[in-house]
Amino acid sequence: MKLSDFLKSKKSKKENWDNIEVQADAGQIPSDVSYVIDGIKQTMGNSADIITRHFKTGENGLIEIGIAYTDGLADKNFVQDFIIEPLMTDLRITKLDSENINQTNLFEIIKDFHVPGGDMKVISDVKSIYTHILSGDTVIFVGGYSKGVAVSSRGWEMRGLEEPSSQTVVRGPKEGFTETLRINTSLIRRRIKNTNLWIETFSVGEQTQTDVALLYIKGIANDKIVQEVKNRIKKISIDAILESGYIEELIQDESYTIFPTMHNTERPDAACGALLEGRIVIMVDGTPFVLMVPALFIEFFQSSEDYYQRADISTLLRILRFLCLFLALLTPSAYIAVTTFHQEMLPTRLLISLAAQREGVPFPAIVEAVMMEITFEILREAGVRMPRAVGPAISIVGALVLGQAAVEAGIVSASMVIIVALTAIASFVSPAFNMAIAIRILRFVFMILAATFGLYGIIIGLIMMVAHLASLRSFGVPFLSPMAPFIAADQKDAILRVPLWGMFKRPRLISQKDMVRENSARPKPPKK
Amino acid sequence: MKKIAPLLSVLFILLGLTGCWSKKELSEIAIVTALGIDMIEDGYRVSIQIVNPGAIAAKTGGQDLGMLVYAAEGRTVLEAIRRLTTVAPRKPYFAHLRVVIFGEETAKAGLRKPLDFLSRDHSMRTDFVITIAKGMKAEDQIKVLTPMEKVSANKIYTSIETAEKNWAPTKIVLLDELVSALISEGKEPIITGLEVLGNPETGNKRENIERVQVPVTIKSDYIGVLKEDKLVDWLDERESKGFNYITDNITNTVGFIECEGGGTITIETIRSKTDMKGIFEKDKPKIKIHITTEADIADVECPIDISKTETITELEHKFNKKTEAIILESIDKAKKLKTDIYGFGEALSRADAKKWERLKHTWDEEFTKLDVETKIDIKIRRTGTITESFQKEE
Repeated sequence: MKLSDFLKSKKSKKENWDNIEVQADAGQIPSDVSYVIDGIKQTMGNSADIITRHFKTGENGLIEIGIAYTDGLADKNFVQDFIIEPLMTDLRITKLDSENINQTNLFEIIKDFHVPGGDMKVISDVKSIYTHILSGDTVIFVGGYSKGVAVSSRGWEMRGLEEPSSQTVVRGPKEGFTETLRINTSLIRRRIKNTNLWIETFSVGEQTQTDVALLYIKGIANDKIVQEVKNRIKKISIDAILESGYIEELIQDESYTIFPTMHNTERPDAACGALLEGRIVIMVDGTPFVLMVPALFIEFFQSSEDYYQRADISTLLRILRFLCLFLALLTPSAYIAVTTFHQEMLPTRLLISLAAQREGVPFPAIVEAVMMEITFEILREAGVRMPRAVGPAISIVGALVLGQAAVEAGIVSASMVIIVALTAIASFVSPAFNMAIAIRILRFVFMILAATFGLYGIIIGLIMMVAHLASLRSFGVPFLSPMAPFIAADQKDAILRVPLWGMFKRPRLISQKDMVRENSARPKPPKK
Repeated sequence: MKKIAPLLSVLFILLGLTGCWSKKELSEIAIVTALGIDMIEDGYRVSIQIVNPGAIAAKTGGQDLGMLVYAAEGRTVLEAIRRLTTVAPRKPYFAHLRVVIFGEETAKAGLRKPLDFLSRDHSMRTDFVITIAKGMKAEDQIKVLTPMEKVSANKIYTSIETAEKNWAPTKIVLLDELVSALISEGKEPIITGLEVLGNPETGNKRENIERVQVPVTIKSDYIGVLKEDKLVDWLDERESKGFNYITDNITNTVGFIECEGGGTITIETIRSKTDMKGIFEKDKPKIKIHITTEADIADVECPIDISKTETITELEHKFNKKTEAIILESIDKAKKLKTDIYGFGEALSRADAKKWERLKHTWDEEFTKLDVETKIDIKIRRTGTITESFQKEE
């Protein structure tokens, strides 16, 4: 067994991404209603919540109607009042089954005159039956026809609109997306009343058949990126899509990176802002987190609140967020590097102060730092999973016991506790959780680099990180723009936030269409 | 994965092999703040002053002394320092060195040899002060405890620095300055001198810092003149002041003159600039010194009316004369010692290099015959917050 045998990769059993084709549907509806109804019951394993009804209607009871819907997904009142009742009662009083009516018209007449409901589709294959029933629609079969009518009767228990839990703002709308796709699209429609806002829906996931919607503003969004996203979604071949994170992992550009290349949000206003810049929003039924594509590094440090507060405050807050990025990433490593290898860099008084604190501590700086960081990560994870009632107890235990007592026991030095606390708080400043996780992981890498190679190691690490970031692309757009391809025109919204009357054009690389965003002049009081 | 796996394995092996090579934990180093070098029969006796960090930073104000002194002997300075590890608790770490003290005897024997180690060592910076212990050994001086500053090296450094900025006769000499003066052919080096007032043996004990009035202190007020690298003599207060005037080293100082009716007037110099030019007048070297000073009247102790312009002009005239006297006194002393500590030779070489070439070999003799022309220009700007003094008219 040579080393090269270990390193050679085994033949992959997965299909090559580029060779996947989209599958086609098959199967036709039988014209015998009872056959269809029995078939439905059998296929669903006689599930108790699939309701089927088979009745005869018409003046002489010669028209056979079959109904199927899912209890819990379909609004029962709607189905009773507006689907079954018209078919039962109205049809009965209509002279439809007399010999005068041509058989071929019966279906059309029923479909056009007796099925109230705005969202109506004619289905002719078996697979669609299940798709519609399991989405909450009601399917109506007419005896003698191998077609069915699917009427939307969706109405299930859903969470009301609440404040988003993850991205809170001080000023701004407090509505957040919910788990229902239709509600989410409605939230966006309400804000962008534009004929060019197009929504395309896909059904992804073999077992789950989850609805995935793609939103973009035609004319602003880059058509090539739209096409690319559509292709990638169609190529997904997976059992289940439970959350937008699945979609994210399956269509992202770069897999071997810890940095997220797609941004997610729970806020409709953030999603609308993205749409108006030419980005594409991907919504997944069942999760309030929507994806925004393409994403830039800068975006993870921007919050929608930046646009609702004044420009100068927003600029300073953004600068603070960048500062916190470096603090969260480098503070423990800088401390380790300077106190272990480069003591000459500290002013003498500071050095004496630090040396005094480290006098009784048994561990070298790196061990102390790693211990405290891991402890803090444990505390943080526990805080997330903790049931609400116990939450405060954990923070008290964490702060008092671990921090204070460890210092007094002489296991860690006080300065290390300060550094860990500062780092932790700085890492919460960044509004995007996925980027914060990447920073947390990198912090440990930098700590190890600092402990082995000192400041030189930190610099090498930073260079490698920046080089890696610069090589990432999010759907064709360089990840670090507008810094790296330096686009001077886009600097107005990167770290600075120029007042709204100064933002003339959309970001160049995303929409590729140099469209003028607005042209309002700087506001001034009127001259006398 | 095929491309990443070898890279990752190389990385992990690299980290494992190097480990934390050349790591120095803070609790493994002894921070040396002052270094004392004395000459003994066959080599040097080196004493170091180490900081005791626990005692300094302790919030309760610790009972332990903030500094410790260890000494060892060796044929060379570096050997002595290494021998110190046999007595010191940790390896000495010189990056934060603040003061280097040479014993007077050592200075008289020559400083070039120990200075080489100080410049060459990679862990030493160039920002420490070099001083000579006046009339005693460096080891005795380094042991003196000072109140307020637990580490006496800090006290020495800050007091020399502050004194230089506020009191004309003091000059701080850093290593790079000393070395450049040593190797320059037109300038001789000078060094600050430190004197211990009181008995250094008592200064070594804790009682020194337990009294209200400190019995034993270190005073930094003297400038020592070196010829080549050997100490030849000390300048007194007036001569040091003159030296600082000539070398443009006055930041802020005070000076007084006697008034006619008795009493003194003191002025505070705020700004001072000295232009020193060397010229050759028909092959004869000559130095022109032009001093511009701005001053405020700080203290009026005689019945003089300073609201009149004539008074001010007269005062200026008197101060000009006094400064000129100080400067000439200083130059006379240097001429007596045949040492050009002002850099006149350098100024002349800047004026005309070829003529300087001829002079420089006999510069010590030429220097005694040097013609120095001074032009002093004091301008009194402000008179403080009151105008007329309330002294009694006689």
